[in-house]
Parts: sequence; C-alpha cells; structure tokens
Amino acid sequence: AALPGPAPADWAQAPLDPAVRAVLVGFDEHFSYAKLCQALRYLLRGGPECLLVGTNRDHRLPLEGGTAIPGTGCLVKAVETAAQREAFIIGKPSRYMFDCVASEFNIDPSRTIMVGDRLDTDILMGNSCGLTTLLTLTGVTTLDEVKGHQESDCPARQSLVPDYYVDSIADLLPALGD
Amino acid sequence: LRRSGKAALFVSNNSRRSVAELERRFSRLGFRGVRAEHVFSSALCSALFLRQRLLGAGGGGGNGNGGGRVFVLGGEGLRGEVRDAGLRLAGEGEPTAGAAEPVRAVLVGYDDQFTFAKLAQACGYLRDPQCLLVATDPDPWHPLSDGQRTPGTGSLTAAVETASGRKALVVGKPNTYMFDCIVERFGVDPSRTLMVGDRLETDILFGKNCGLSTILTLTGVSRLEEAQAYMASDSAAAKDLVPNYYVDSIADLIPGLDE
Repeated sequence: AALPGPAPADWAQAPLDPAVRAVLVGFDEHFSYAKLCQALRYLLRGGPECLLVGTNRDHRLPLEGGTAIPGTGCLVKAVETAAQREAFIIGKPSRYMFDCVASEFNIDPSRTIMVGDRLDTDILMGNSCGLTTLLTLTGVTTLDEVKGHQESDCPARQSLVPDYYVDSIADLLPALGD
Repeated sequence: LRRSGKAALFVSNNSRRSVAELERRFSRLGFRGVRAEHVFSSALCSALFLRQRLLGAGGGGGNGNGGGRVFVLGGEGLRGEVRDAGLRLAGEGEPTAGAAEPVRAVLVGYDDQFTFAKLAQACGYLRDPQCLLVATDPDPWHPLSDGQRTPGTGSLTAAVETASGRKALVVGKPNTYMFDCIVERFGVDPSRTLMVGDRLETDILFGKNCGLSTILTLTGVSRLEEAQAYMASDSAAAKDLVPNYYVDSIADLIPGLDE
C-alpha cells in the first residue's frame, strides 16, 4: 500500500495490515528508509509474536568484473539494529537449510560431502553440520586465507577450514568416472 | 538557570536539523535566550569534525585542493551544516573540467530518503581506504510523539559498515567529540557541569565519559527499571550507564533553582 505523505511522521500513521505476523528480510535493491520504518512498526506491534527472519547474512554480492554490491546481510543488520533484536537466519552458515534438505532426502551426514567456494558460508555450514567439506578455489577464497585460519589458535577460525580442497570441481571428474 | 548565573548548553544527537532551525524550535517552545551558539547538534559537530580532518586545523588544506568532497547520507539540515563548514558535497557544485575531486568521506546521518542505491554508492566511495566513514550518532531509533519509533542513524550506519567492512567514527554521544566542541567554544569546567538527558546509553554515558555529573529525566526514552538493571549488573561497563540522580521531569528542578 502506498504510504501517505512524504515524511516518517506520516508513514507512522499508515494503517498496518492486521494479518502480518512476520517480517522477512531478503535481497532488496529497492530497500528504503520507508520500508525499514514499516518493518520496525510491525516488529514493535507484534513483539515476540511477530517473527523476524533473514534469508542470509552475506555482506556483499560479487558481480562479474570484480566489483560487488551490498548484500542482504546489510539490510538484515539495519532492521536488527532499529528493532534491537536478532533475526532468525535461514541461509548458510545457519544449519536450517541443511536440516530442510536432510529431512526431505534422508541424508546421512557421515556419508555426505559439502562442496563450496566460500569459507564463512559453505564450509562453515558443512563443518557445523558434521559433513565432510571440500573447498573449490574457483571462487573468492585463496589458499593463503585457509592456511591463516588453520594456523590460528581461534576455534571459530578453525571451523572455517575445509577437510579437502581442489582447484576446480572438474578435478573430481576422473575419480567419479572410475 | 540564567538568573542564577548558570550557563545552559544543549547537546543533541539529532542530525536532521541545522542549529539555526533548532534555535527557532527552542524559541517556539518558549525557551527565551537560547541562541544557535548554545546548541550543539551532531550535524554541526560532524561538520566540524570533517572540517578538521579534511581541511586541517588551519581551515585550509595544505594540498590546496579544498580537501575533497563529502558524500552525505542525510537531509538538508545536515547537508547545510557540512556546507557551512566549508566542505563540498559529492553530487553538488560546478562540474569541473577533468576528473572530479575525490570523495574523502562518507557521512551517515539520519536519512529518511535512504535507499539501497545510496548504500551501494557509499560502498563504492569506501573502497578507497583513504575515504573516511563517519556517522553523526549511534541512536538505533527515536521516539515519535504517539509512542511509536522511527529508525535512527545507528541502523543505517550498521548497513554501511556491513557492506563496506569498515567501522564508522561516531561523532555523537556517548562519544566525547561533541564535548570537545563545547569546551573549545565555551571552556566549561566538567567538575561544575551537570548533564541532563533522557537516554542512558547516549546522554548518561556521555556525561560519564566527559567527567560530568548526570541526571536522568524519565520523560523520554529510558525507564527507571533500565537504570536499576544497569545498577544491579556485574559488568563494569554497565555501571557507567547509571546516572548520579534522576527526576520524573526537569520541571522538578525548578523549585531547587529558585532557592
């Protein structure tokens, strides 16, 4: 519904949909202060009865050519800060998506390998869910980064270290063809 | 206060309005004698901070090119303070032949016209590690007159920090820069100064950080239970948010002042 008037004081008077019971923050290239306002209003009206869910926390979305645009994580942080509460995050490295996949496909973690190119999402989720993890170096992650985490004393950084790595998943094809 | 020979200064995290506008508002509310120079807003102090950092202490850049431009996420009140400080805003002014002056700072303030596009633009400027990231204040939300809340600068700053991977320099309370501005202009003695405010996390902590005595008034954001919770907490940081005194309203102080 269109917001009445140009200013936040007007927006705070717009009627709220009585049926809304959750605020879901995803990637939104049309994110605005006005939307942030409305999200805050629903969260305050509903209190803990109104869910706050974020699709993921990615800081940046890489574009072809090496630049990047802000990721969903930025918008989630804006809502969390205004509402002073934490969102439930669906995407990696949260285990929620793995739980969805595992229950639907009867997956045995001990016989599953997670392949990905990002340490703080793919590998972290795999490690947290008890999977074997394989890093491919075709993405943003460098081997030096991995070594840095491996050599650190910090347990949180240790959970970013994959069990194996390949330059590219194509490297697995010969083995799979056997 | 003025009759008792005590100076009254106002320090606000509000980055929407210029101090000239605030002076008019005070006047409309019946505060006689409050001049613009008695009012320190985070908009004004952010502009002063940027002037210091970009143009240098002497007010003129040693490199002679005016110190670069500032990309401001905020309204006309904030933009005006930045211009009044002698800085140029990104996206304004005469187009120059050849390359435009680099953007040397991104300033995040209260911006009710904030959009994803502006967030992306800010990140573009912040890829240059020499470009400063400054926020007017950390406030996560502000109360509206009907009891609702509107998102504050803090929520927008969180988005910019997350996207850029940088931490913002925050000018407003509870950080002490605004007190430095006050001392520079009026030379106040912290031991003879009382900070009055309604928000524990900004006003009261600011008072503590600046060595002032503090009074919490219960007419605004913070509730007595919150102050009591901080008092009961084991954390040393929490103690700094406990005011020395509290009143239901600053009107309660008036009888004491007349004595």
